[in-house]
Amino acid sequence: MTEIVVAVAGQPNSGKSTLFNMLTGMRQFVANYPGVTVEKRVGRMNYKGYKFMLVDLPGTYSMTSYSLEERIARNFLLKERPDIVLDVVDASNLERNLVLTFQLLEMKIPMVVVLNMMDAAESARIKIDVNGLSEELGVKVVPTMAKRGVGKAELCDALLDTYQLAGDINDFRLDYGPQLNRSLNVLQEALADDERASAYDLRWLAVRLIAGDEEVSKLFTGSLA
Amino acid sequence: MTDTVRLNTLKPGDKCLIIEIKATGITGQRLMDLGLIPGVVIEVVRNAPLVDPVQLLVRDNHISIRHSEAREIGVILL
Ligand SMILES: Nc1nc2c(ncn2[C@@H]2O[C@H](COP(=O)(O)OP(=O)(O)O)[C@@H](O)[C@H]2O)c(=O)[nH]1
Ligand SMILES: [Mg+2]
Repeated sequence: MTEIVVAVAGQPNSGKSTLFNMLTGMRQFVANYPGVTVEKRVGRMNYKGYKFMLVDLPGTYSMTSYSLEERIARNFLLKERPDIVLDVVDASNLERNLVLTFQLLEMKIPMVVVLNMMDAAESARIKIDVNGLSEELGVKVVPTMAKRGVGKAELCDALLDTYQLAGDINDFRLDYGPQLNRSLNVLQEALADDERASAYDLRWLAVRLIAGDEEVSKLFTGSLA
Repeated sequence: MTDTVRLNTLKPGDKCLIIEIKATGITGQRLMDLGLIPGVVIEVVRNAPLVDPVQLLVRDNHISIRHSEAREIGVILL
């Protein structure tokens, strides 16, 4: 049976490694991403008869192409197309963490959001409407406390459900305001007939081009380096 | 009508509303990654002339940026 590939993304200190350990235990090995010395941690788990392979992406605050870590994480998602991206969010720092969540949602890979550090959020008297958040984002949202091993089964079920429903990619759309939305639509239409854009989500490409993303711009200047 | 000023001109204890991030490219991205986004209210914790860093309270996070970066942030004093 094929393995379900799950890429684990998240901002630094969201508890990504702790959660990774909670899911995979001792079944881990370390490799490098091709051509660079950035550590690639891979782990395995079985759940309800399914085999999962988890890849711990470098922790990054966003998914642009400014740092090596961001380029590695992003290229893995774009080129390897994992079955699911698991976005680990620090629930006690929700607003800052959601920046990365939005960027991941725009990449249109089936996704599960983990609200980790729920204990820290509770101590800070932060209340989160988990169902409301899930509805807004269009993906499953699972509260966890990875340090105490809380939320593992719920998270595994969410991963399995998301894998089985992989046809329904989230229809989340960030509203950039009337002016930018209009530019995005124009650009997206222009890209629709362009072969160089065919491997990517068009709205994602349009957003990255307007943001001045160098790696993405290179797609359209011919010099892929 | 209140005037927009540059963040580096504020004093410790001042609260302000972020209006715009003038920096672009990697600097602009880094500032936004730290939570410095138009519409967000922040407080200046430490800001001494010529002494880096400038310390800010963004929600519950203390963050540090350079004077040269603070100059690129337009705010309204509250
Ligand atoms: N309070 C609390 N701390 C956690 C939780 N999960 C992880 N941590 C702690 O947060 C810190 C950062 O975790 P780590 O897994 O290294 O984060 P990473 O940078 O995202 O890989 C460590 O001290 C963990 O023990 C949690 O659910 N609650
Ligand atoms: Mg880690």
